[in-house]
Amino acid sequence: MEALGTFGQLLAGGLLTGLVFALVAVGLTLVYGVMDVVNFAHGEFLMLAMYAALGLALVGLGPLVGLPLVAIAMFLFGIVVYRVFVRRLLAGPPEATVFGTFGLLVLMQGLAQALLTSDYQSVPSPPLQGTVRFGAIALSQATLVEGLGALVLTAALFAFVEYTETGRAMRAVAEDRVAATLMGIDVQRVNGLAFGIGAACVGAAGALLMLSYPVYPTAGASFALTAFVIVALGGFGSIQGALVGAVLVGLLEVFGGFYLSPELKMVPVYLAYLAVVLLRPQGLLGRR
Amino acid sequence: MTSARPHLLALGAIAALGLLAAFSVQSAVVLDLVFTLLLYAVLGQSWNWISGYAGNISFGHAIFFGCGAYASALCVTHGLSPWLAIPAGVLAAAALALATGFPTLGLRGHYFSIATIAVAALVEAFVRTSHWLGKANGFELPIASGWGALQFGQKGPYVVLALALFVAVQLATIALERSRLGYYLRALRANHAAAASVGIDERRTKLIAFAWSATMAAAAGVLYAQYTLFVDPPSTIALAVSIDIALIGVVGGIGTLWGPLTGALVYVVLAKAVALRLGGAGKGYDLVIYGAIICLIAALRPYGIVGTVVDAIRRRRGAAGTIPPAATPAETAA
Repeated sequence: MEALGTFGQLLAGGLLTGLVFALVAVGLTLVYGVMDVVNFAHGEFLMLAMYAALGLALVGLGPLVGLPLVAIAMFLFGIVVYRVFVRRLLAGPPEATVFGTFGLLVLMQGLAQALLTSDYQSVPSPPLQGTVRFGAIALSQATLVEGLGALVLTAALFAFVEYTETGRAMRAVAEDRVAATLMGIDVQRVNGLAFGIGAACVGAAGALLMLSYPVYPTAGASFALTAFVIVALGGFGSIQGALVGAVLVGLLEVFGGFYLSPELKMVPVYLAYLAVVLLRPQGLLGRR
Repeated sequence: MTSARPHLLALGAIAALGLLAAFSVQSAVVLDLVFTLLLYAVLGQSWNWISGYAGNISFGHAIFFGCGAYASALCVTHGLSPWLAIPAGVLAAAALALATGFPTLGLRGHYFSIATIAVAALVEAFVRTSHWLGKANGFELPIASGWGALQFGQKGPYVVLALALFVAVQLATIALERSRLGYYLRALRANHAAAASVGIDERRTKLIAFAWSATMAAAAGVLYAQYTLFVDPPSTIALAVSIDIALIGVVGGIGTLWGPLTGALVYVVLAKAVALRLGGAGKGYDLVIYGAIICLIAALRPYGIVGTVVDAIRRRRGAAGTIPPAATPAETAA
């Protein structure tokens, strides 16, 4: 009975962790799907959002109240980064997007270290400190809100891409850029929007994460590594795939950390990545 | 291909300058800078073989550097000669490159890049949990002296060794640029389907380049361990080390003979300047500068410092440039 309780606890923990991963990963996969760019600075966008949420919390707006503000600010940040930087990378050789976003990663980490120090910083007196019990499973309120909030936002993004005119335009650009241009779609505008929305996803995720995580200059990096794996698992460009991959990775990480050792928790995740890209390169739910 | 003579002359001049420094300069600070510069240039060139010439961008190259460093640590702490670490480390690195490259070198673009991160993380997890590899604590090498122990009280001999390694690596790269292997790699990078259609075996070609690349990094690792006498995961195989190696390769210019030395020069000079001016590394100022340089290069000059200079020379000579002119915003918006 106790083993079953532990199993249920790990299962719930893994699921909720996976849902937060999903929100980070859908931003990455959307940008990849629309413009074939793997944003290596995606984790640093998340780090920036976490600092933004922290800043708002320090002036009295807690992470949940601050969430829409952070998401909107990150949306605008993403559009600006696309307009002034990523657009130029797309005009260069294919490696330019890898190096360029890698440079952005180094630059943003450096700025965070220089301006905000390397200290771990948390929201002072965060809300949702209680525990919720489901039979033998005990979950902190913060974790529950993080996971469910991320699920709602991921579903909202999916609905947006699937059912709105702009979402249709994004899918058209993802499918065939030239044909989309011929149909009168402004590819630059769609790219910019996709980059902005990708940043808004980590904006929301960053605000949610501040409920229970501290922020520091490399806080986003480990999430981004996980997100790369998730996106590859689910199939680059597929939102449903990212959700499935994220839950899978969340479970692998939580169970790996418990049954192997915390130091080895990423080992099953990386093995899963290698197995998928070698055996099924299009990912679990990817096309092509 | 242009004549090799100017490159050989330049290399000879650098070797002469390096030897002069090794034997006449007394300042340990300057010699330390020269040693670091040469070591990073070797690591950058090693990365350049697989990521520049072969076009498979690696973010996990530090594991091959680690093979050499750990070979050295294991030999010395088990009472064996550190000279044995050179063949041992090099063979281990080449074997690791073949074993990990065989499945992953067929992956393209970011699939390969992320796979290198995954492989490096697995290697690091293995080292951190293996008792015989010192786990997270690593090794402190016992102090000795002389050529037999490959340790010296002065920094001069280290500079000579690093210089010899650098010259060997540059000569190998000059040879690569003129060899069948080099032409195959260039063909694969330009268009792998077309290259395959004329009978170039992509996996075999890239595996050979990867093994040589790993070999160079391992040799640098042995030298590093003998120099610092301390080997642990964060200083040798961690993701941060891999990122530094890639940084050096990108800043100087990928796929160019002198790019890695240029990148290493920028890296070492900046690290030193930042440490002097702004009070120590680790505060992020150096990262800001590297990051800004890479962003600017990627957005405006994606072929790096050396690539841009080479192209300017070619244009002046009236030959067609290899780099398309930087896109104007109007073109990009189209």
